[in-house]
Amino acid sequence: MKLLSSFKKELILASRSFYFYIEVIFSLVILAILLFAVPEEISTTSTQYVYLNLPKEVKEIYTDTMLESVPGIEPEEVELEADGKTYDAQLIATDEEEFYIVDSEEAVRNLAYSEQVIGAVIELDDSNQLYCRYYLQGYESTRLKNLLSILFNENMGVLEERIENQEVVSLTTDYEPLNDRENTLPPLVAFSSCLMGMFIMASYIFLDKNEGVIKAYAVTASPIWQYLMSKIFVVLVTSVVSGLIIVMPIMRFRINYGLFLLLLLSTGFFASSLGLLIASFYNNLAKAFGAIYFLIILLMVPAIAYFIPGWDPFWIKIIPTYPLMQGFKEIILPKGDIAYPLIASAGFLAGGIIVFAITNIRFKKTLSV
Amino acid sequence: MFKKIWNIFIRDLKVNMREFMTFWIIIAPLLLAVGINFISPSINDTSVNLALVENENPAQADFFDDFAHVELLGDEQKVEDRVRARDDVVGVLPKDGGYYIMAQGNEPESIVEYSKLLNVLYESDVKLEDARSEIIEFDRTVPPLKKMLVNILLLFISVLTGMLIALNILEEKVDKTVSAINVTPTSRSAFILGKGFTGMFVALFSSIACLLITGFYNVNIGQAALLIFSLTILSLIIGFIQGLNSSDVMEAAGSVKLLFLPLAGSIAGYELLTGNWQIFFYWSPFYWAYRANDMILSKSGTWPQLLLFIGIILAICGAVYAVLAPRIARKLQ
Repeated sequence: MKLLSSFKKELILASRSFYFYIEVIFSLVILAILLFAVPEEISTTSTQYVYLNLPKEVKEIYTDTMLESVPGIEPEEVELEADGKTYDAQLIATDEEEFYIVDSEEAVRNLAYSEQVIGAVIELDDSNQLYCRYYLQGYESTRLKNLLSILFNENMGVLEERIENQEVVSLTTDYEPLNDRENTLPPLVAFSSCLMGMFIMASYIFLDKNEGVIKAYAVTASPIWQYLMSKIFVVLVTSVVSGLIIVMPIMRFRINYGLFLLLLLSTGFFASSLGLLIASFYNNLAKAFGAIYFLIILLMVPAIAYFIPGWDPFWIKIIPTYPLMQGFKEIILPKGDIAYPLIASAGFLAGGIIVFAITNIRFKKTLSV
Repeated sequence: MFKKIWNIFIRDLKVNMREFMTFWIIIAPLLLAVGINFISPSINDTSVNLALVENENPAQADFFDDFAHVELLGDEQKVEDRVRARDDVVGVLPKDGGYYIMAQGNEPESIVEYSKLLNVLYESDVKLEDARSEIIEFDRTVPPLKKMLVNILLLFISVLTGMLIALNILEEKVDKTVSAINVTPTSRSAFILGKGFTGMFVALFSSIACLLITGFYNVNIGQAALLIFSLTILSLIIGFIQGLNSSDVMEAAGSVKLLFLPLAGSIAGYELLTGNWQIFFYWSPFYWAYRANDMILSKSGTWPQLLLFIGIILAICGAVYAVLAPRIARKLQ
């Protein structure tokens, strides 16, 4: 009962503070950005500059083969500028690629340098075989350079036919990917609703420390953990409100909200307990700032792995935000794995309870710092 | 006047150093810079991850290792288990004298296509030593992602030191020491400005150190120093507005969250949107700062361009200050 009463009081106080409304406004702005600025499919095109230093007939065959592979695309005459010079080029543009055929090696070199993309000069060697000279920036990985080196070892047409016939066995066939807008939701919810809970929780405690509330609490009949828990509940309510504002208009009723709230609350509890623990070591936010700042940046690193397929080093997976984002992703995926968010929630809850218990002991001992 | 501001700055620096806080805030970006150095080579080397059966075909594993990350596992079941794991790993398994690709089904299409290409190249007996190509490099050693991370870090330093200034001012407000200054020969504005210098010093030191740690020591130092100076003015404005407008740390904490919105929006706008849409970000000093940083880090800018960008940043800061000056003066009373 005391806990409920403390929670009610905290909630009333929070609803009167400017901060609560900042949270709501922030969520609405994020939602507006997602709805109006982030397209469902973000198109990314790669650019290449090529000079075909080939006899006219070979050049025509090469260009025709290239155009056959992209039916319905007509080459376009364009002008390009690099290093203060203008170059004529033929552009073959698809949704994924912009392929410029220019008239000289100098154009390839200057364009590749100024635009920081790959340039290539294709010619015939002494045995009348295709030979390629690449212009690269220098930071490309050895593995990429190796692949580029051997692409002209085999006839392109033969390679393409073999690739078409290559057998691929998929372990799951009913996977439906998220669109780009939906795919940005897990990191946003993770950082906006859960992670900031840590920062906000610490701020709450410093505010109360400054006003002497914690010491005053010591002379009441309530144990200190109830005071701390009532604060966490307020942060959790804010997290739920802001999380639902961002997610509901986009996902509507296509996701399991029970599971979503379970993960949101358990991760929010973990993050808030962490914020409390940090707050127990310092007596104002300025002093705790460095620790919080460093922790937030560290916890943001898995977002890089989230957006770069194929880059998942082991150490990234042990940072709590990795399972947090992956858990949210599974929840919003049309046929996502239910077990993963459940296990992640259990882990965050257990971790939160341990951190909270340690924090409680620290606050009981010190009452202030 | 200047001596008093200087004295306040030195006193503030000493106090902060004693409390370990400033030292920590200087150290944190440097650790992050080391972190960028640590992760960027592995991100740059990102390729397809392939899982194969150990000792089934060592020559094939050697071939793939030149083009992809290869994991060797005990048997086919272990390869399947690995493919089913959360990250993107594709299996290449033997079948009827050839090989097939085992995918989980949720990988990006490019990963499966790359794996198919590699297997076809191997089965076509293509060899690296027979390469019919030549590679000419421009000797650029810093990958674009690293440049982007360093650029973001520089903007972060600017915002977070702004927050530091705000917290310093807020602390004085809460302790009512701004009023106590009335009975000393130091004016309130000199006192506040002196407190702002700590953040400016931190921003300047951290930014230069981050550039050096991340290997950008061959950028135009004059251009970098000028831009960093304009970013510290930005930090100062952020700090003043936050510190003087917030009545407690909760408000300051909330407003730093709001600040990340134009910061992240400006970066995303510059990186993802085409030229025509970028006009919507011209109001944001972070947009110009990111653009100017990008120009300096890629060593592609000219002095007139840079001066224009810095001029815009300072003009925006000046305009914001001019609009808020009466309010700031009132808050200082």
